[in-house]
Amino acid sequence: MWPAITRRGTYEEEHGMSQSETLVSLANLKKYFPLTGGVFRKIIGMVHAVDDVSLDIYRGETLGVVGESGCGKTTLGRTILRLLEPTDGTITFMGQDITHLKGSDLRNIRHEMQIVFQDPMASLDPRVTIKNTVGEPLLINGIARGPKLRAMVLDLLQKVGLTEDHLNRFPHEFSGGQRQRICIARALALNPKFVVMDEPTSSTDVSVQAQTLNLMKDLQDEFGLTYMFISHNLSVVKHMSDRLAVMYLGKIVELTPYDIFRKALHPYTFALVSAVPVPDPRFSGRAVLLKGEVPSPINPPIGCRFNPRCIFAQEICRTDEPPLRDVGDGHLVACHFAGELDFGKSSQMEYAQTAEAEAS
Amino acid sequence: MSSSEDLVLSVKGLTTNFYTYEGIVKALDSVELSLRRGDTMGIVGETGCGKSVTAKCILRLIEPPGRIDGGQILFSDRDPKTGETNEIDILQLAPEEMLTIRGNKIAIVFQDPATYPNPVFRIGAQIAEVVSLHQDLGREVLEIRIRELEDSVKNSASAEHQAKVREQIEHYVSMLENPPKPDKKYARKAAWAKAVDMLRLVRMPSPEQVANQYPHELSGGMRQRALIAMALACNPSILICDEATTALDVTVQAQVLNLLNELKKDIGASIMIITHDLGVVAETCNWVMVMYAGTTVESTSTKELFEHPVHPYTIGLITAIPKLHENKERLDQIQGTVPNLINPPTGCRFHPRCAFATEICSRERPSLEEVRPGHYVACHNPQGNV
Repeated sequence: MWPAITRRGTYEEEHGMSQSETLVSLANLKKYFPLTGGVFRKIIGMVHAVDDVSLDIYRGETLGVVGESGCGKTTLGRTILRLLEPTDGTITFMGQDITHLKGSDLRNIRHEMQIVFQDPMASLDPRVTIKNTVGEPLLINGIARGPKLRAMVLDLLQKVGLTEDHLNRFPHEFSGGQRQRICIARALALNPKFVVMDEPTSSTDVSVQAQTLNLMKDLQDEFGLTYMFISHNLSVVKHMSDRLAVMYLGKIVELTPYDIFRKALHPYTFALVSAVPVPDPRFSGRAVLLKGEVPSPINPPIGCRFNPRCIFAQEICRTDEPPLRDVGDGHLVACHFAGELDFGKSSQMEYAQTAEAEAS
Repeated sequence: MSSSEDLVLSVKGLTTNFYTYEGIVKALDSVELSLRRGDTMGIVGETGCGKSVTAKCILRLIEPPGRIDGGQILFSDRDPKTGETNEIDILQLAPEEMLTIRGNKIAIVFQDPATYPNPVFRIGAQIAEVVSLHQDLGREVLEIRIRELEDSVKNSASAEHQAKVREQIEHYVSMLENPPKPDKKYARKAAWAKAVDMLRLVRMPSPEQVANQYPHELSGGMRQRALIAMALACNPSILICDEATTALDVTVQAQVLNLLNELKKDIGASIMIITHDLGVVAETCNWVMVMYAGTTVESTSTKELFEHPVHPYTIGLITAIPKLHENKERLDQIQGTVPNLINPPTGCRFHPRCAFATEICSRERPSLEEVRPGHYVACHNPQGNV
């Protein structure tokens, strides 16, 4: 039905491959934004948005990325897709170095990777019908046109739970949740392997959010997609992800295959987790409060970037930057004292334990 | 809710419509709400359910094409000195009378700290404006002058001058009980001092410096604190926080929520928190009201709501949140979408999405009834333990 699939190998073929095959690999990726000032727009500083990030994303998994606003998670997602030019480092996608690809080579690789943006209204053209919005990637890449295009678009819309009636409507006629579905359909039009979800549910309500998250999981199974799921909502990310990366000031501080609500080894992760409001009044009001504000990424602190706000900071934290090291089973932490610190119990942990005990 | 309770605000049958070209948007339909003195109440619901419209009605901030078409908003104002209360219907007040209440007795903190403070005025000036508009600063001005004179006594060498100044101080002290109207120059000074005090109250680091800064120089969390300081500047009886922490990161949100909890003890105001996050409600509120499509569907204490939710919508809302302790493949979802309020569903407005709807739900609108002690629900088929 979809010529695009047969041309590049079907999902079944891919599925036979080993699950732990690396799809995307980043090595020392850096993205700095120059800061200009003065009469001649001289560069007076650099915003260290993404600073020395190395990580692998395996085929078929969902990698969650969390962090506060300004920590560089969106920049990371966009740099991987080459929507932003990396300052330094390499991006390897399906075994091919795509860091410096140009022209038609880059366009070919873009079939395989797509993005769903945060605000669906801003990422849909208000003057283009849904049929043309979703069909545009197919048309541009010469995959289909005319009646065939219509049939393929309809098929995509049905996959995300929309009907034939919606084909010729404009974005303003849809609700927020439906608009996000349209964006997802458009991202899937070229049958990509890798999709970056950049805060896809942050502008939707809880009940619609549940629908969208369920849809994303269904589509992942159906098309064998690999997701990079960016969000600031920890419970949503935890629900969606197989592995989770926590970012702080442009760096990954913890990368864990475990449930971060139960096993957090970096003090920042623990503070972040404990700040999530627990939907149960019995466990309220016990967040670990971080003092101060996130430092400026223009002049990040020397040593561990978290040291000015960390209650466990020692002398070494102010001088040496901790490497991201493996503490066992692929659990990476960038802290000098990973595993040695006692954070005590968060109310989230107690809530989880109580809820489990009550359930059984 | 019984009339014997000490209610600071009681909304009865509030109905608000918006007259648009597409038709009449029935934004609020007989909303019932009661806020006890000293309570923190949460209003929860999805986008477009009328949470913010309710808050704006309470402050009479509804602008055309919107119109408040019915109901009562009873505000019981207690004089802090005499302890006397008098009850006023906000909807019956003239616009000029409303000015003495809005920002003074009832204050609001809006959602987006990036757009709300005026970018061209210093933080301190914006807070001072609220103070000098609503408060008679006579006493504060006298106190400032006395302090100034005392300083000059210390620095002065001549005994004659000292005696003269002391006489002046005594004159001012005698006026403290019944202060005269202050002159402009000193009033401005007093208002600025009060602004710095308010910034200190909301735990702002280096308040003197922040008062002199412009909004863009502050981070989101600090800006939100400044707005809370502005709202609290006149010791309001009610503080409404309209999605005050929604735009903030979790760690900053935790700081602001913690601040609100602490301030509640200090200032003795009743707080109304409007949010869509049930977690925020659990952290801060002791009473919660759930709204759906412009109607009140459930109203009870926070503990009761989380232990025994009764309305099918509330149950759906609670189960739709991804839980920390569960490893579910799929989330429970509420089918369908929020209805268009130009043509809201007949009867119970939730019935097209409700799994438990029966024939009566589409015909008759359920009234808010007490199903358990202190637990009010508007539903024909209440679920759970009733």
